[in-house]
Amino acid sequence: MTVQLTRMTKSVDDFSLGPVDLTLEPGTVTVLAGSNSSGKSLLLKTILNLVKKDDGEVKIFGEHVPGNTEQWIGRVGYMPQALIGCETFTGEELKSLVSRWYPNWDDCFFNTIAERLNIPLKKKYGKMSKGAQQKLSFALTIPRNPELLLLDEPTSHMDIPAKQIWLDILVEWMEAEERTILMATHNVDEIRKIADYISVMRNGKIIGTFEKEAFTRSYKRYWLHKLPVHPVPGEAAREEGVIISRLPFETEQYFRVQNIEYTDVRPLDLEEIITMMLKG
Amino acid sequence: MKLPIRLSKESREPIYHQIEQQMKGLIAGGNLPAGTILPSIRALAKDLEISVITTRRAYQDLEQTGFIQTLQGKGTFVAEIEHSLKEQVTVSAVYEAIERGIDTGLQYDYSLKEIEELFQSIIVQKRKERLE
Repeated sequence: MTVQLTRMTKSVDDFSLGPVDLTLEPGTVTVLAGSNSSGKSLLLKTILNLVKKDDGEVKIFGEHVPGNTEQWIGRVGYMPQALIGCETFTGEELKSLVSRWYPNWDDCFFNTIAERLNIPLKKKYGKMSKGAQQKLSFALTIPRNPELLLLDEPTSHMDIPAKQIWLDILVEWMEAEERTILMATHNVDEIRKIADYISVMRNGKIIGTFEKEAFTRSYKRYWLHKLPVHPVPGEAAREEGVIISRLPFETEQYFRVQNIEYTDVRPLDLEEIITMMLKG
Repeated sequence: MKLPIRLSKESREPIYHQIEQQMKGLIAGGNLPAGTILPSIRALAKDLEISVITTRRAYQDLEQTGFIQTLQGKGTFVAEIEHSLKEQVTVSAVYEAIERGIDTGLQYDYSLKEIEELFQSIIVQKRKERLE
């Protein structure tokens, strides 16, 4: 396994993260979905030991983190929400600084990304728009060719075309070799197009990790002529003439036994499912 | 290359199975001739908005049944398939389509007799169209 977290915990002031159990399979993309301040960023930082965990176990490529060996560091890329202390450097200057630290740096790839995303490399980082800052930060991260990539809301400020190009670059990059991604995002389109697994976070805990297709089929909306008086098995919510179920199989079985006919049934979309889960 | 695959997320049929059936149809029907390069597992997952776990499963099944072929480092291609296999896919696709039509009729409370009559009248209509 690329990453394995076992009962990992971390408390900061009155916020407590975990205990978190999470496994990342090689070659897969896992998305962390959750409301603001649910602990997504803290989780990413704690995995990488940028913030020291309180308890539990973290393993990256089989190595304990922190541990006696630190081979994993060279195989991991991390893109935080913002780069700190870079305001006075231009994009070009940051590139020559960063590229020196990484033996696998692919300069050609950096140029391709800069061109495709139209990054103003001659501008100082502090003078760039937030979207351009994100593009630069991304361009400084993936040419290191890490096997594991952790991204913290990587496209939250990018415009629509940039998001599409960003996604294309990421998909092409993933095709070449077995790469693993863990990404915190609020962007539903990204979840739809690139996630294999979705981990839903609420108040510092992962309330579930789901394979995407299982996730998108987990909730269904039933249209009925007449709503039953009592709640049905799996019922998650009621609307006018509609029952939403979180256990479609059980609900349908109940309908059959009770001879309740529904006129239509549709799966909920991703946004609705995430919202339902976060409401609890 | 984008494949003309349409998934029904409402259907009970598993997504990987829908992909397999449609790809078989495209290959047997000659829309994807032997040697055509197919999108990578990751690219297909993005286009169809599903996970690589699902696309990988569909590709593995298609490879096992001989419809596609993966060459290390070169990607995935449409394989050369035998005529009998082509025939088999075409027959089963037509069979399933007719079966679905009959099921729709039954859902609307038609009797099998009435469906048969409808079927006959469609045949007559098609025959006329062909003569014109």
